Amino acid sequence: MSRFRLFLRLLVKAAWVRKDRALTALVSVGVVATMATAALTVYSDLENKLSGEFRSFGANVVITSHRGALTRAEIDQIRAVVANRGVAIPVAYAIALGPNNAKVVVGGTDLRSLRDLNAWWSIRDTNPSAGGALIGARAAEQFTPTGKAFDITFGANSLQIRPQAVYVSGLEEDDSRIYLDQAAFTALTGVDPNYALVRVEGRPTDIQHAIDQLSARLPDVEVDPVRQITETEAAVVGKTRSLVLASSAVVVILIMLSMAATFTSSVLEQRKDFAVMKALGASNRAVLFLFASEAALLALAGAVPGFLAGSGLAYWIGRVNFHAAILPQPALLIPVLVGSVVLALLASTAPLRLLDEIRPAAILRGE
Amino acid sequence: MFLRLLFESFRRQKRRKTLALLAVALGTSVATAMIAVGAGIGDKVSAELRSSGANLQVTPIEDTLDVNIGGVDLKPASQGAFISESDLPKMKGIFWRRNILGFAPFLTDQRTFVKDGQSFQAELIGTYFAQPLSYGNETFTTGVRSVNPWWKVEGAWPPDYRGWPQDEPAQVLMGSKLAAQYGLSAGDHLEIGARKLRVSGIVNTGGGEDLAVLAPLHVVQDITGDQNRVRRVVVSALTKPEDAFARRDPDKLSPADRDRWYCSPYANSIALQIREAIPNVRVEQIRQVEQNQGKVLSEVSGMMLLLTLAALLAAALAVSAAMAATILERRQEVGLMKSLGASNTAVATLFLTEGGLMALAGGAVGFAVGTAMAHRIGQTIFGSTISVHPVVLAVVICTALLVTFLGSAAAVRKALRFDPAVVLRGDA
Repeated sequence: MSRFRLFLRLLVKAAWVRKDRALTALVSVGVVATMATAALTVYSDLENKLSGEFRSFGANVVITSHRGALTRAEIDQIRAVVANRGVAIPVAYAIALGPNNAKVVVGGTDLRSLRDLNAWWSIRDTNPSAGGALIGARAAEQFTPTGKAFDITFGANSLQIRPQAVYVSGLEEDDSRIYLDQAAFTALTGVDPNYALVRVEGRPTDIQHAIDQLSARLPDVEVDPVRQITETEAAVVGKTRSLVLASSAVVVILIMLSMAATFTSSVLEQRKDFAVMKALGASNRAVLFLFASEAALLALAGAVPGFLAGSGLAYWIGRVNFHAAILPQPALLIPVLVGSVVLALLASTAPLRLLDEIRPAAILRGE
Repeated sequence: MFLRLLFESFRRQKRRKTLALLAVALGTSVATAMIAVGAGIGDKVSAELRSSGANLQVTPIEDTLDVNIGGVDLKPASQGAFISESDLPKMKGIFWRRNILGFAPFLTDQRTFVKDGQSFQAELIGTYFAQPLSYGNETFTTGVRSVNPWWKVEGAWPPDYRGWPQDEPAQVLMGSKLAAQYGLSAGDHLEIGARKLRVSGIVNTGGGEDLAVLAPLHVVQDITGDQNRVRRVVVSALTKPEDAFARRDPDKLSPADRDRWYCSPYANSIALQIREAIPNVRVEQIRQVEQNQGKVLSEVSGMMLLLTLAALLAAALAVSAAMAATILERRQEVGLMKSLGASNTAVATLFLTEGGLMALAGGAVGFAVGTAMAHRIGQTIFGSTISVHPVVLAVVICTALLVTFLGSAAAVRKALRFDPAVVLRGDA
């Protein structure tokens, strides 16, 4: 029998004869690999997932032109920067007179986009057919408690407002407004949009990058981040990430140590095998090599299912919690495998050094 | 005899026992730390989200429409209704007073300011910066400094005067854009009518206030002649995320349900309680803040809950693997005891008692380590400690016992199944 075949036989038999020992080692490696994979996978996708949630806070950048309307070119520039990572909605405002000569702020914009942007508005549809106007709850209460049409005037022009929907935002200034379709607004007031509400999606750094780009490309207008929203997003996303990282590190390191303790004690129990081999003339190196290969093999066999289970766990967390899958990260496979093997090698060969000093005869006699 | 066996087993197998104890202690510290962090995260993230500003707005019920474009209030101060300032501390008397973290009143007017003979028009906003107030026996400080923490001031915040300050100019803040436009900086003097103001700092809010002059509320009341009046109040309250029950109309609920609704810190029930405390106001939840915060909060806590569950499961598996490993290695002992006439029960009792002792000791050590870690995580990330509820100790010890027993029981059963003769000869 060649040395190699003897070696293989020893390796496989050792695991096969003591199936339960191999099983406990497999379980502990598998648990570490699962936890490490799941935590790292969730962590790597967390910023995207959480930032996505802040989308619903609405516009995070406001662009204002102080020299009249935003030009066509400027609006195109804004849209080019935002591209498919958000929306930009030009808005115009004017003060008109409602019934009883009450002053009311009227806005002109694309109503559909505005409603999508301000998704937190609670909307009561009074007449969902196309056209008409979006009316703030307080303005509606004052001008049209029953949902009937009413007139507003701007200078010499007047317009009949047919309420399409009433919205509640909770902020007095929002709820006191009336929003018209851009075409109807321009016909009434002759004013073109000089504001743009912009929502940039993405991680806090992406948002900052977009703001810098907007400021650079549009020197004549003011680009203001809505700090209330951008700063909260940065703080919450940043702190949650550090929290997940810190707690995963704690979990993975502690479980790793726990696994190492199991491995070490299992190796210590094999003192007798060690002694027999040495008594039969095996060199220290040969024995060390055998134990190390056994540990490495077990670690590999535990880490692969661990990686799969961990990816599955992360996917499930994404599905349950974020309603969007957190996809497996194949790039993590190698670090997880290598980490498990290195850990198993350390945990199993370190105690052998202790045994090195003991004479085989003493162990065999049970001393 | 039993005690002696137990004692000797710990005395003679120090290394083996230490390793098993280590495994149990590590597992329980994972459990403690994760339970503590998972339970504390809600409050911590909620506090972070609170820094995105007030979530309730109080306005007079009889008010005319707001005329506000680009954050600048264009409604004349003479129009519309007011809330009386002396009613505001009553908010600290409602059922959920502890959840009212702060509030800030506002009174605004368009005014003409003069700087070195050059005059300009701007919005004058009066508010509390950090106003000390009292309600009953309780004293507290509230204002925009705590409600709107994203406001940044270069220079100093002005003091909150009780009225117009004697023998000195009243200190005010200049909005950053206004200051840039008129070349004003901290320390400059302004006039409004015949009165003198001194700029104590430049404020940057990212909103309409950047184009305004911010002054202490009582100074503005003195200028506009609206003693004891404020236009609106924003309130920052700690609320429970809205669910289907929160949206129900309290008037249509059964008395028992209404009590439950009233005694839950929903934005809607806190709004109702403020309406009851302050006459003639309407209280609306600022939906942009309130609705979205709940969503973010539940996602973050949900994720931590799932990670905690996964970590608990992992810790349980690691601990029972460690226990099983130690027992499996002791088949010869089992064989010896059995061949000397020990019953299966006696052997199992010995091993399970050993396991129980290890679970207790390891659990206690693990709890201490886990608590320290949770504190450390809270301190480094949120700047405030995460407290560990004492009940976690009981939970962790019980779980450790359970997991150790489960891990040991399987291994003991397996060890007992072998024939002592075979085990002793070393053939197994």
